[in-house]
Amino acid sequence: MRLLKTLRLASRDYAHEWQMSGCFVLALAAVLGPMLVLFGLKFGIVGGMLQQLVENPENREIRPVSSGQFDLDWFTGMQGRGDVAFLVPRTRGIAATLELNSEKSKRIVRAELIPSGHGDPLLPAGGSMPEGMRGVVLSQLAAEKLQVQAGDRIDGSAVRQYLGRKERQHVELEVSGVAPVGAFVREGMFADVRLVEAIENYRDGREVPEFGWQGATNPEERSYPGFRLYAKSIYRVAALKDDLTLQGVEVRTKAADIDLVMRMDRNLSLIYWAIAVIGLIGFSLSLGASLWANVDRKRKELSVLRLVGFRTGDIVWFPVTQAFYTGLLGWALAIGIYFVAAFAINNMLAEQMGAGQEVCVLLPRHFAMALALTLGAAVFAAALAGWRSARIEPSEGLREI
Amino acid sequence: MENVFQARNKAKSTVYHMRDVVRDRASEGVTFRLRVPSLQISQGEKIALIGESGCGKSTLLDMLAFIAQPTEIAAFRFRPELEGDAIDVAQLWNKKRMNSLGDLRKQHIGYVMQTGGLLPYLTVRDNMSLSRSVLGLAQNDTVESLARELGIARHLDKLPETLSVGERQRVAIGRALAHEPSIVIADEPTASVDPFAAEKIMSLFIGLAEERNITVVVASHAWRHIQRLGLRRLAHHTHRSKDGRTTETVVNG
Repeated sequence: MRLLKTLRLASRDYAHEWQMSGCFVLALAAVLGPMLVLFGLKFGIVGGMLQQLVENPENREIRPVSSGQFDLDWFTGMQGRGDVAFLVPRTRGIAATLELNSEKSKRIVRAELIPSGHGDPLLPAGGSMPEGMRGVVLSQLAAEKLQVQAGDRIDGSAVRQYLGRKERQHVELEVSGVAPVGAFVREGMFADVRLVEAIENYRDGREVPEFGWQGATNPEERSYPGFRLYAKSIYRVAALKDDLTLQGVEVRTKAADIDLVMRMDRNLSLIYWAIAVIGLIGFSLSLGASLWANVDRKRKELSVLRLVGFRTGDIVWFPVTQAFYTGLLGWALAIGIYFVAAFAINNMLAEQMGAGQEVCVLLPRHFAMALALTLGAAVFAAALAGWRSARIEPSEGLREI
Repeated sequence: MENVFQARNKAKSTVYHMRDVVRDRASEGVTFRLRVPSLQISQGEKIALIGESGCGKSTLLDMLAFIAQPTEIAAFRFRPELEGDAIDVAQLWNKKRMNSLGDLRKQHIGYVMQTGGLLPYLTVRDNMSLSRSVLGLAQNDTVESLARELGIARHLDKLPETLSVGERQRVAIGRALAHEPSIVIADEPTASVDPFAAEKIMSLFIGLAEERNITVVVASHAWRHIQRLGLRRLAHHTHRSKDGRTTETVVNG
């Protein structure tokens, strides 16, 4: 009840002195606003670069430098690792092509076969995937040249020299979807590993029972010359590379690029934190000083409250309530300043950035952190000053003015 | 025998009892000491402390209102209600029981400051009601009727800044009386108004205190008018050292 009375009195005083209260709010926002913009820039620039690294699957890819021999046990072992997101065998490049033809186009397109499957990072998650032996995803360029879209049927054919004569076999395929431009820039076809293997077997003069193509019997043990491997995240690339190198597999990664951005993040973070800590000290001192000065200014009024019987604890709540208002309003105004500045900066640099990318960005949790920090510092400073005021003999406060 | 009964009755009705209470204050190389060898104030008494500035009037009033801690105390007792036991104020000060002293002030004492001490963000009504609301008393027509008696009823919904100095002092008197205390302490309540208004306000104040049988301790410069109102003057004398660096006031009564 008494606490409620104190809160009400503090609120009325705060509203009555709106000009002075406004000055405190402005002083707080003037320090906090630029700090938010600074943090938004750091978070936007470095965060954007990291996001780009994370989002682009190429950065997670680990490619073998030369051909090797990888059997199914090796693939099973690697797929079981926690740091591997996607792994698929590659057949010999020279055998992994197919000539494609559609009813809508007169052109014959020679497409590279890309072994794929569910979870392929090159294809959008939740989008079309190669399905079975006949469902394929075409690269954008291949689809354009064939003038087909998802749901269309195309003809795939391959030629081989078998028993001294040239032979061509056809397989009817269904376009499950078209991959985004960035997935594969040349004419290509994402296909189930079994289809890629079948084409390779056919070219090698072996039988393909699934399509009824004749040839030599397939060997029981199969090995692959390469693989397409993606790490779970960019942070796992370096460790995976080291493991493969230990196995004797020489690989190429973008670890150097990743390291560069990570170093930039570390250095920029260091610079930011140096500025932020200086700013924070300045901010805390300015906030503490203004709230301290405010409590000092109100010592007579606080002494009057003690004279009429308010207790020490009640008196402390008076400046704390007002500091809470200053903190809350100052924070809100600082956010307003941040949004205006971020809008201007992002608009100014929009042309240099990619679609959807922003230079100055803050997340809701950053605003919440700023609020907690501001209110914490404000309430602490006011509570200290209030406590000091409450401990002084009321007669001293009353006689001061 | 009669003297013994009289003495016992007087002890029973004593609100303040002070013996060898001292308050020292030093500032800018000048030392001030207020010494109270003995002081008894009885229930319903109207006491005036008359003297020039700096003689220690306010210091004594602050000690009586428990807002200034004495430097030395042999005995300091307070009995706000005749039926109740005397409270050992010395012990409360020694134990730094500021809240207990605050509670005593809240329940039994009204204080009129020289400068009014009104809260600028509260209306006259809310300023006068403050002492009542802190005590949790019902908001009846006490404040309105006091305001009428003090001649400030038309100002009840105004902020203090819109009132004259004299009107503000009336509001301060109203606030000191609104929670129906048994003691009112007034520190030169009319010092900042003209003599004519001062006389009027003081008469009004003492009249209201008489009606309510309130014990009054008032500090003032003007003895002539106070004397006419029938207040008992508290004896005191002030010594200053030759170099003017030490002042001691001794109050007895």
